[in-house]
Amino acid sequence: MLWMHGGACNGNTQSFLNAEEPTVIDLITDFGINILYHHSLSMEFGDQVHRLFDQILNDEVPLDIFVFEGTVIQGPNGTGHYDMLFDRPKKDWILEFAKKAQYVVAVGDCACWGGIPATKPNPSESTGLQYLKEERGGFLGSHFRSKAGLPVINIPGCPIHPDWVSQVLVAVATGRVGDVQLDDLQRPQTFFKTFTHSGCTRNQFFEWKEPVEEFGQGTRKGCLFYEQGCRGPMTRSSCNRILWNRQSSKTRAGMPCIGCTEPQFPYFDLAPGTVFKTQKVLGSIPKEVPTGTDPLSYSVNAAMARTVAPKLAKEDMFVP
Amino acid sequence: MNKQETMFKSQKMEVKVHSLGRVEGDLDVKVIVEDGVVVDAWTEATMFRGFEMILKGKDPLAGLIVTPRICGICGGSHLTKAVYALDTAWGTEVPPNATLIRNIAQAAETIQSIPRWFYALFAIGLTHQNYASSKLYDEVVRRWAPFEGEHYEIGVTVSAKPVEIYAIFGGQWPHSSFMVPGGVVSAPSLSDITRSISILEYYRENWLEKIFLGSSVERWLENKTWADVLAWLDEKPEHRDSDLGLFIRYGMEIGLDKYGAGPGRYLAAGNFFHPQKYRYPTIEGRNEALIARSGVFDGEEYHDFDQARVREDHTHSFYRGSGSLHPFEGVTEPVDPVEGQKEGKYTFAKAPRYDLPGVGEIPMEVGPLARQVMAGRPGAEKWQDYDPLFLNIIKEVGPSAMVRVLARVHEAAKYYLRMHEWLKQIDLNEKFYIKPKELPEGRGFGATEAARGALADWIHIKDGKIENYQVVTPTAWNISPRDRHGQRGPIETAMIGVPVRNPEDPVELAHLAQSYDSCLVCTVHAYDAKSHKELAKYEVIKI
Repeated sequence: MLWMHGGACNGNTQSFLNAEEPTVIDLITDFGINILYHHSLSMEFGDQVHRLFDQILNDEVPLDIFVFEGTVIQGPNGTGHYDMLFDRPKKDWILEFAKKAQYVVAVGDCACWGGIPATKPNPSESTGLQYLKEERGGFLGSHFRSKAGLPVINIPGCPIHPDWVSQVLVAVATGRVGDVQLDDLQRPQTFFKTFTHSGCTRNQFFEWKEPVEEFGQGTRKGCLFYEQGCRGPMTRSSCNRILWNRQSSKTRAGMPCIGCTEPQFPYFDLAPGTVFKTQKVLGSIPKEVPTGTDPLSYSVNAAMARTVAPKLAKEDMFVP
Repeated sequence: MNKQETMFKSQKMEVKVHSLGRVEGDLDVKVIVEDGVVVDAWTEATMFRGFEMILKGKDPLAGLIVTPRICGICGGSHLTKAVYALDTAWGTEVPPNATLIRNIAQAAETIQSIPRWFYALFAIGLTHQNYASSKLYDEVVRRWAPFEGEHYEIGVTVSAKPVEIYAIFGGQWPHSSFMVPGGVVSAPSLSDITRSISILEYYRENWLEKIFLGSSVERWLENKTWADVLAWLDEKPEHRDSDLGLFIRYGMEIGLDKYGAGPGRYLAAGNFFHPQKYRYPTIEGRNEALIARSGVFDGEEYHDFDQARVREDHTHSFYRGSGSLHPFEGVTEPVDPVEGQKEGKYTFAKAPRYDLPGVGEIPMEVGPLARQVMAGRPGAEKWQDYDPLFLNIIKEVGPSAMVRVLARVHEAAKYYLRMHEWLKQIDLNEKFYIKPKELPEGRGFGATEAARGALADWIHIKDGKIENYQVVTPTAWNISPRDRHGQRGPIETAMIGVPVRNPEDPVELAHLAQSYDSCLVCTVHAYDAKSHKELAKYEVIKI
């Protein structure tokens, strides 16, 4: 495995280091995943790395998995001069490694869709490996297939949950890659079929349409979807099924989901009035309703739910 | 020939060190090595993403989401200063509980970073075969070799624990945006507090005391001078044989204490607030409310830190024009490096400088050593940290790569105690958030100390959106290039005098850069770019 970073914050690597089952060290010592090179973890440096890169490109060292973190920086004007590696645009290295690898894995939003750096006005001309936001194509083009015949495996999230990447690597290492089913955005369905909403501890408040009125004390009850702009019911992730740092999730702690596993993140390009605020029509109906429903059914259901809500829907559930 | 000596006479070569693994892109270092010692250096940041340009025109709260993504290693610190920038711009009231949780989260990120940085990024370099002749080498390899080392595994694994506390309050680490103007989004329960205390204890028992210090936290913190540290080392075999004891002995044996002094001028923006004294955050009231103090030490005297005296020079940076601006007036207009190089520009880092009264704009080192030097300033209020150890060390033995590492790990013990204190003070029945009025106009300044140094935001809000947003990171202070007066940045200065035994494998340069932290050279690629042809200025004379 070769792990490379482009226009990255290293957050995915940091998150990966929090993995527990297996730990990053287990992955290497127990599962036999040989990290040829990782910018933060490898002992090798200097000529050794340059030589390794040459050996991979000359087919002397086989490259099973190419993991890429960060955006592909193409600026200015397509030259790639905004991100150089060994005096050469990094995008050129990325293209060559992608062609040599059996599997290409994009970790994090930046590598999948362009992420925050590709937000308007995208000063670095950043793109994801096979998407730019929701548009298929990206740096490698929509027809790209790795040597094993697969498109880029997208593991989005800003950052990725460590399990999302470590389990995919274990699947490859244990011959189960055939079981990795990708959705229409090339994400492994095992992690991205359900919603952030699935498993959220606020679901009962969601059901009875009971909002969080304000942050802080208010988060001891209520649902963040109605006022705080929570995207949990519209975002595919397993954040509330496989907890973060073994403890919690954003929505459990009272922070609205910002939809960071979806290509449109950051939503509305962070325009004024859109951060932590639910966008509404007619003053009360959310502009975007939970995936799978429509505004009319939603409104009927909401009115009904409010009418029949039990008393406990207004009580503090997360008591001191 | 009974005596053969090889004498190097005026052996001079240019060595370019390509680095990977920086947080904010890759860093290259170009050095001139003469007679085996670095005589000049240039730091070159090779990547540009343009976060400040992205923030322009956006929602005032956008900084809470965008700036943590500048750096995944210190994203929590980005969030902390971003929220204080908004608190000061909007004139919020922050309930004491929220300040306590912000402090705890901020400290959790740092005590996570200490073992992760020490084992995964710094100590693996100490297993380099250059040091194979050291008496302690085998032990160093046994403990600290990457992936295989006994304590490498413990250290890297335990580093995931403190951020569990972050997740309890903030939902996840890295990249939460749970601090909001007026407080925090969460309101913890009793079990959140007790669980956090248990995690802290796990960290202390399984790593900090047992593996790293070999003594109690309290005993280590009794050390007030360098002489105390040496006496501590000899006091018990457990001290000498701990990872810290081994590091000190080995560091002195391989000469880590002999190079990398740096500019000897330090700046800290300060960290952690007294919950009552910063209920109403303002730019002016900030210094007094800090627990870990801000300040500037010019090598002789201490000065108060004043954000109005920060400048960013971009004469040698890949941005249009030249000059030196306060961040409120900051401009970020990148140029193609190919064009920039024609004007003598060589890096994407700007050059932060501090305008010291009567002296002018000077480069400053930031980071744990700067913080610990500031902790030695006399006159601390009773809620503030006073700790004279590192002021004594830099006076007694001088700063070095080794001392910089010591300052960093020293903080694990200090922050561990502070976190306990803050957890105790949270009042579960009081507020965690007070809804602020979102003003359409305002200017704010927020700062903190990331594990690797002073970090600050300047925000200008106009017509309900971001008019200008400037971030000055610790990496920018430390890897800054030359300014319009030709003054080198701190790491450029610290590189001078570093011995390079093998120019094709300059592990010493890696240690030096890494002593300033992982944002820099995690791995280096070296080649002697021109030495054999254009720069054939060296000759080897055999007698």
